[in-house]
Amino acid sequence: MAASKSDLLQGTLDVLVLKTLALEPMHGWGISQRIQQVSDGVLSVTQGSLYPALHRLERQGWIESRWSASENNRQAKYYELTKRGRKRLTEETEDWERFAAAMGRVLRAES
Amino acid sequence: MNNSWKNFFLPRRAERELDAEMRDHLDRQIAENVRRGMTPDEARRQAMISLGGIEQVKQDCRDERPARLLADLWRDVRHSVRGLRRRPGFAAVAVITMALGIGANTAVFSVVYGVLMRPLPFANGRRLIVLQQTAPKAGLHDVPFSVKELNDYLTQSRTLEGIAEHHSMSFLLLGGEEPLRVQTGVVSANFFSLFGVQPVAGRTFTDSDASHDAPGVLIATDKFWKEHLGGDPKAIGRVFQMSGRSHTLIGILPPIPQYPIRDDVYMPVSSCPTRSSAAFIGDRTARMMTAFGLLKPGVTLEEARTDAAVIAARLEKTYPEVYKPQYGYGSYVNLFRDELSVRAKANMAPLLAAAGFVLLIACASVANLMLARVTRQERELSIRAALGATRGRLMRQLLTESMILSLAGGLLGLQLAPPAISGLTLLAEQFSARTGEIRIDLPVLLFTLLISVATGVLFGLAPAVGLRRDPNETLKEGAGRSTETAGRQRMRKILVVAQLAFSFVLLAGAGLAIRSLWKLLTVDGGYRAEKVLVLRFSASSARYKGPQAFLTLNQRVLDSVHQLPGVRSAAVSLNYPLNPNAIAADDGFNRREFLIQDRPLAKGQLAPQVEFSVASPEYLDTVGIPLVKGRWFTEQDRGESLQVAAINESMAKHRWPGEDPLGRRVSFDEGKTWLTVAGIIGDVKEMGLDRPVPDEIYVPMKQNQFGGNNLLVRTATDPDSMARAITGAVHQAGADIAIDRVRSLAQVREESVASPRLTAILLGIFALLALLITAVGLGGVLALGVSQRRQELGIRLALGASHKQLVRMVLFQGLRLAALGIAIGLPCSLALTRLVAALLYDTPPNDLLTLSCVALLLGMVAAAACFVPARQATRIDPLVALRAE
Repeated sequence: MAASKSDLLQGTLDVLVLKTLALEPMHGWGISQRIQQVSDGVLSVTQGSLYPALHRLERQGWIESRWSASENNRQAKYYELTKRGRKRLTEETEDWERFAAAMGRVLRAES
Repeated sequence: MNNSWKNFFLPRRAERELDAEMRDHLDRQIAENVRRGMTPDEARRQAMISLGGIEQVKQDCRDERPARLLADLWRDVRHSVRGLRRRPGFAAVAVITMALGIGANTAVFSVVYGVLMRPLPFANGRRLIVLQQTAPKAGLHDVPFSVKELNDYLTQSRTLEGIAEHHSMSFLLLGGEEPLRVQTGVVSANFFSLFGVQPVAGRTFTDSDASHDAPGVLIATDKFWKEHLGGDPKAIGRVFQMSGRSHTLIGILPPIPQYPIRDDVYMPVSSCPTRSSAAFIGDRTARMMTAFGLLKPGVTLEEARTDAAVIAARLEKTYPEVYKPQYGYGSYVNLFRDELSVRAKANMAPLLAAAGFVLLIACASVANLMLARVTRQERELSIRAALGATRGRLMRQLLTESMILSLAGGLLGLQLAPPAISGLTLLAEQFSARTGEIRIDLPVLLFTLLISVATGVLFGLAPAVGLRRDPNETLKEGAGRSTETAGRQRMRKILVVAQLAFSFVLLAGAGLAIRSLWKLLTVDGGYRAEKVLVLRFSASSARYKGPQAFLTLNQRVLDSVHQLPGVRSAAVSLNYPLNPNAIAADDGFNRREFLIQDRPLAKGQLAPQVEFSVASPEYLDTVGIPLVKGRWFTEQDRGESLQVAAINESMAKHRWPGEDPLGRRVSFDEGKTWLTVAGIIGDVKEMGLDRPVPDEIYVPMKQNQFGGNNLLVRTATDPDSMARAITGAVHQAGADIAIDRVRSLAQVREESVASPRLTAILLGIFALLALLITAVGLGGVLALGVSQRRQELGIRLALGASHKQLVRMVLFQGLRLAALGIAIGLPCSLALTRLVAALLYDTPPNDLLTLSCVALLLGMVAAAACFVPARQATRIDPLVALRAE
């Protein structure tokens, strides 16, 4: 794994997955690709931790899964945001923005 | 349905989906890698790497599912079963031990539940009460009611919805295959509706049945219907003859407890000649009936008691000539439910405690087995811990195993319970009318499940003690066996000492019960019970009218029996020693007030009381009671001759201390007629071998209109072998005679101690079970000790110790544990056996002989338990033991 890529902070993966699914329903592999693309390759999802996260989010009722046909007519397990998941994403987003702003202020003050 | 729940219920499908999802991911990643220019093999390899181990990912996903717990449990169960199968000996000993403990408790609980706790099988069971009149100063605690008194309580009560009356009479029932003497409950028309009893067939009584000119009707109890009417539902409508009247069977009762006496059939008060006579109804002191009441909804027992006390006080004030102040007239109210099993609690408590102890001992024993097993398994557990199993996970594995053992023990225990229940039921029958309700049903099964689970947890947690935190320690130890941690060793010894102490308590309880029984069995009753047959014969009052007819019949019966070869003597009497009816009567069997000539009562002084009996001339010889002074009755003591009486020594001592009672006169009808004391006879323990001798007076059969209807025959040989000939002779003496209660006086005596005998037997069985389990446990602990010290013992042998010394060492260890157990058990048993003191006859709970015997027995069994491990020690070959490392 390239050193330039940031390791994911504990708990961040959940937000990233939720955010990704907020755009459209997506299968596991797609989610990992999307996160990498959108973050310009800075955030890389360890694929091994993605699936347990998906199962966890599903158990908590924030996402749902169903099997449906994908682009080349193969069956794939698609994940989709639930109403509760959407609400959760909003909360998490706010938290993150507050956290990022605070971090920014602290770091600027120091430099 | 939510996916996670789908997973829970469909674990296989969830697995398939997980597989498919992983495959799909890999395929896509491979396709992507190929697109980037990798060779197919390289693309696959890289895809696998980036996923990071499919099995690991899958396991992580499973961990997120709620079905995880169940799957783990299932795996634990399979693992445990496999493990137990590898050690069938351990599994068998553990399951059998638990089965004994759980079986004993299931049996005792099902009896206690059936007799004491089960809701009454009456719709109004919770509100039913028993009402009694008392005269404590006259020694009377259950005075029957007269019709007038019943009416007073009914009209004046503010707390009762209704009162039903009951009295029981013995009638001759004709119309069946042979004349039957039936115990007949004579009840008010509202009796069954007050209780809330629905008949299984036909109907119960209505008000119209109770009117004076109503046709005779009859209701059969479940037992009578099954035993004498063949359980035939068409029996309804059958007509029987009772006391010269026709009675039609109109209903059949469900199996319900019979109180205060076990009746065969019921009839309304209008059918009872005594009860319906105008003279009886008008006489306030003509008392015969038991009263049952139904509390108004919301009324407490306390309120009902106060209410009844108020009524009693009012009656005492209104009729001072009836309720004399010196009697201390009062009332007694208790819940019917509690009254039904009034003596059961005290008698069941020791057994309940004993069964509980057996279970604790079984638990300790299996916990010890588990500890030993964990020691042997230490390496396996450590390897699993090193591979990442958490302490909690290992504990769960151990708990699963103990739970499987205890549940299997519970299942086996349920199979063992029924024979124990039949033994306990025999005991419960001695003091409860509710034994018909003893069965294994849902509440009992729940109890069994509960104690199985509880004991499983209890002995499953024991091995957790000393479960090492650091698996490295164990793994670093030699490849041979691992040694026990100090904590676990101590735990094992504590458990064994606890077993020994509990066993001591149980053995002490059983020992005291046996000693008390022994004293009862060997106590001198004051008569000779061997070779005497007793039976009760009943003639129909419709056929034999008036006292003279009965007297003639009695004489004919005696003459007829005298004709038989092998009959030494024969007598007819009203009572006989240990007559079950007399034992059951709390206020005396036939206690009467009397006057002594020239000794007028002071005002307010109670008249003296005495047990009154009637007997024919050969009674004394037949029963074997010694004549102390004066003379006994002869054939010349007839109606027209001098009215005489014989008294026992107790009465002589109490009423004429220091005087000669012979020639003194007493009266039972307030001075109208006088009886002259002609003789003094020996004291007999009439009312029970464990009860004091009552004051007694006898009058000759031919000078008393009641005469008595018990026939006693002293035989030359075994009385039971003569039973048939004797009943035949009685039947020859007159037509329509019912005969029942045929048994030998020795058997009567045996039956009078049935309750202490059963208690002693059951306690003895429990104590033996405990002893057996403890012996196995002690042997097991010592054996493990020996096998763990093989090398040490081997070295000792090599250095010159003899095998004998090793045996002595093992024996000493075992006896030290036993001594410790006895030292702890002794004070415990002194504290606990005091609870059974009330059940013991002439045996103090700290009886030295019993306790020493128990200690000796326990010590001997402990020594015997050392035998196996001691032999094991002698077989140690120093060379082999030392090379084993």
